[in-house]
Amino acid sequence: MPVLRSATAGSGEAPKQFNQPSRKGKKAWRKNVDVTEVEEGLQEVNNEIIRGGVIREKASEDLFTIDTTGDSKIPQKFPKHVKKGLKADEIINRRSAVPAVSMRKRPSDKTTDGVVPAKRQRTDWVSHKDLARLKKVADGHHENTVAVRDATFDLWDAPAPVAQDPTDFLPEKIEAKVPKSMKLKPLSLLANGKQAPAVPKPTGGYSYNPSFPEYESRLAEESTKALEAEQKRLEAEAAEAAKLEAAAKSAAEADAAEERANMSEWEEDSEWEGFQSGVEDERPSAKQPKRKTQAQRNRIKRRKEEEQLAQHKANMKARRAQEQRIKEIAAEVAEKEKEKALELAKAAEQDSDADSEIGEEKLRRRQLGKYKLPEKDLELVLPDELQESLRLLKPEGNLLKDRYRSLLLRGKVESRRHIPFKKQAKTKVTEKWTHKDFVL
Amino acid sequence: MARIKKKGQAGAAKNFVTRNQAIRKLQLSLPDFRKLCIWKGIYPREPRSKKKVSKSSTASTTFYYTKDIQYLLHEPLVQKFRDHKVLEKKISRALGRGDVSDAARLEGNASRPDKTGKPTYTLDHVVRERYPTFVDALRDLDDCLSMLFLFANLPSTSMVPAKMIARCERLCLEFQHYLIVSKSLTKSFLSIKGIYYQANIQGEEVLWLVPYKFNQRIVGDVDFRIMGTFVEFYMTLLGFVNFRLYTSIGLKYPPKFDAVKDEDAAELGAFTLEGKTLVGSEEQSKLEDVAHKPDPKVQAAVNKVLKNMTNGAANDDASMADTQEADEDAAGAIDKFEPAAPGGDILPQPSYTGTTPNNLFSNFTIYLSRETPRQPLEFILKSFGCKRVGWDAVLGGGAFTTDELDPSITHQIVDRPPIQASMNEEGDGEDNQTAQKLAANRRVPGRIYIQPQWVWDSVNDGELKEPHVYAPGASLPPHLSPFVRKVQGAYDPTMSLEEQETEREALEAGDDDEEVDADETVEGMDVAEDDEDEDEEEAEADEDEAEEEEDEDEDEDADEALQRQIELEAEMSGKTVNSKAANPKTKAKEDAKKALAKKAREEAEDLDRAKGMLSKKKRKLFEQMQYTNNKKSAEDAKLRSKRRKLEKEKANGKA
Repeated sequence: MPVLRSATAGSGEAPKQFNQPSRKGKKAWRKNVDVTEVEEGLQEVNNEIIRGGVIREKASEDLFTIDTTGDSKIPQKFPKHVKKGLKADEIINRRSAVPAVSMRKRPSDKTTDGVVPAKRQRTDWVSHKDLARLKKVADGHHENTVAVRDATFDLWDAPAPVAQDPTDFLPEKIEAKVPKSMKLKPLSLLANGKQAPAVPKPTGGYSYNPSFPEYESRLAEESTKALEAEQKRLEAEAAEAAKLEAAAKSAAEADAAEERANMSEWEEDSEWEGFQSGVEDERPSAKQPKRKTQAQRNRIKRRKEEEQLAQHKANMKARRAQEQRIKEIAAEVAEKEKEKALELAKAAEQDSDADSEIGEEKLRRRQLGKYKLPEKDLELVLPDELQESLRLLKPEGNLLKDRYRSLLLRGKVESRRHIPFKKQAKTKVTEKWTHKDFVL
Repeated sequence: MARIKKKGQAGAAKNFVTRNQAIRKLQLSLPDFRKLCIWKGIYPREPRSKKKVSKSSTASTTFYYTKDIQYLLHEPLVQKFRDHKVLEKKISRALGRGDVSDAARLEGNASRPDKTGKPTYTLDHVVRERYPTFVDALRDLDDCLSMLFLFANLPSTSMVPAKMIARCERLCLEFQHYLIVSKSLTKSFLSIKGIYYQANIQGEEVLWLVPYKFNQRIVGDVDFRIMGTFVEFYMTLLGFVNFRLYTSIGLKYPPKFDAVKDEDAAELGAFTLEGKTLVGSEEQSKLEDVAHKPDPKVQAAVNKVLKNMTNGAANDDASMADTQEADEDAAGAIDKFEPAAPGGDILPQPSYTGTTPNNLFSNFTIYLSRETPRQPLEFILKSFGCKRVGWDAVLGGGAFTTDELDPSITHQIVDRPPIQASMNEEGDGEDNQTAQKLAANRRVPGRIYIQPQWVWDSVNDGELKEPHVYAPGASLPPHLSPFVRKVQGAYDPTMSLEEQETEREALEAGDDDEEVDADETVEGMDVAEDDEDEDEEEAEADEDEAEEEEDEDEDEDADEALQRQIELEAEMSGKTVNSKAANPKTKAKEDAKKALAKKAREEAEDLDRAKGMLSKKKRKLFEQMQYTNNKKSAEDAKLRSKRRKLEKEKANGKA
């Protein structure tokens, strides 16, 4: 039976020098000394022990016996008359003389030295739960480390810094100055760039028991919005379908054309393959820029001067005209400015009204961060669910989402997307060639 | 020649840094950096041109001011974060080696700083830095309170630890205690999202939103790490704000907290305020001397009504009216006052001892039935002066009384529809007094039953509303938002018609009155018909108005012509003019109408002239504005006319 052996595995022997003529140099190092002989001897002794003890140490009586069984060659001479055991039995029966180590638990020694042994209990034992937590901490997912304690002093009434001791000549520690940019307001996501209030004021339409006109107007508003959204969705769907259809159609056409091309004769194809006669070298050559002559330069200069003069004259004329009616212009400008201010004031008034109340806020087009601001929840009790009783009220909207959105809207943080799973590394499946390492 | 400027050496490229650059500069991890930015109030900024800022080929999305980040380097918290990073590295190294116990020891030492002598950090200095004065802190309290009240009502999850929730709850309750003691709550509003509260704290208006109980769904698209960071900061802030507020009214902070009572869901009742000036325990002890004794007269009246009810309650629909009547009867019996003003409260008003309306409920003992929301009611009632609020034992501990039959109770808040069937089963009212437990829908005589909205509406209006409007089973008036700003000319259901109608409407209404008076003699069914084809009328209303205007003008012209004719005639005959002596009242009205029309015309002319001056774009804008305004005012006018009609009907019905 062939033995399967790894080509790379080696023989399992210690490294050695092939032969050792000298006792000097690297070859004489301990690791390089040839110990094969010793190892072989040890192995032999070990085998002898397994077979029942070291032969050299045994008494003669153990080694030699009087032969009473008869000729041992008889089975070889007459193989058919002798009953041979199974090979498997032969192998199994090859027992070691050394008894196996018993697996049974042994009672402890009855005799003691009088000292009571300490009960062994692992104090440094760590539970699975703790281990999981530790692993998390190692990954940076530690719990909050802020120590929130009861306030024991008035933060805004802290004692003034103590005046410096005049005998202390060490320079005072200079505090870093707060940059002005720290005090700038965060970037509001509203279209008008104003700061959105943290808690917008609710209008009557948000009441649990709203008055009819207020509720109706809100319902109408929300329903038109929903309708529009639905319409947009349908349109997008239709566009998508049309696109797919067109793609399919063009693909079919291309297929058909290809087939036709395959059918056609090779002569017609020649033009497709880039052979064409009589069309080479017809590109018009680009005009190379040439140096201007002095005359040309002079002409250009003269023209420029004339133009400048004309411009200056026109300007002076206009100015003179304006000077004549300066009062009118002043009045006009004043009027314009007044108008502008009025307009601004009006717009501001309207805005401030709209801003502090809940409603559909107009968002700016440019978003902050990679992701869009999440949509607002529909906060509306449908007409058939409208109840007069506080007990039967089904609250709408999600305050958690609302708060989070408010933070984003006020630009306190950039919007993030929840990432439920960590991005896994891509794995590529390949075949291993380790079977080549084996030799028979 | 000027030196050539290199790209990225000046301007926007120097003023802004990307997030990654900032993180690298501060040597922090991204979560730590986020935390730090939230606490220190460093917000993402937007450069005018992103291209000019970042030199990298991949588009960066978040930018910060370089100076902000530079300033962050001085922050002591950064060192703490770095220390923690070191610890993380140590732990992960130990775990990698398999020294689990070593890792546990390292972690344990860090989390028990008292053993290692290394202090954990607080956000005190950050709060101080961000809010240099107390008023600054008050201004930012809206967000803080909304967030903390929200988290106090969340269920605990792995993302929101129970410890944090308990802390939030405690801080919120302490804050509520301050509001109760200082009587600074001003308004409240029941919305579909939650309950809005507004308080006036040292001159600053603070508005916050509290969710209804047991209603919070945890959704996936909310970043709890960020929310948690905000909450950590706000907890510190509210702690200091509470301290300041408590000390400002001479109370000790923190108030004594009774864990046993808290286990019993006493909430507000778990705290005992201590201080020099105020005795918190007063609230808890029953004030027997003030115990309400039912007036014998009222008792008699109520008994009579009850007897009536038990006898004749077979007809179901009549019983509703009976209860209403009973209320009114009871009211009539003890009504010793005349209503101060027409439309004022008919029921006896509590005499306000204080000047503020925040003593609204101070003389009442109010009992909450078990179906009412206890927490908001308790808070509002107490902050508006009610010292004795009792509730069913189901709603938790800390009540003034849990006995529904307590004779001192003056008001009971119920939110159940009355079921009349159960009323018939028991005996008469005398048995009620002795019965230990009340059956559902039993009424105790001598107290007023109201729905919860009564409390909110009374608080918002600053006066006690008529309870019969809010009686159980009654159709409630709409709950209006107290936060909408009143716009001139807009319809306001809370005001009387006279206060809000325009001159023209008033005049027209006067005309209508006369017409209706005349009509009714001829055809009495007119009003009923009106109701039916109301929609048609609305559609026609606009046309009518237009026609009316024209008519008016024509009328006027005709009148003038007539007048001139008369004058001419008088001149011819040499007599004095006695123009229209016939009806001085109608004449006055007509004059007023004329004046009004003239004024309107003049105004319109002025407007036209002014419009001529505007540019085309502005004129368009102005016209748009005018259009929407007109539409709105037409709507308001319609609403007012509807109300006028209803009121007239009511008046006619009474007469």
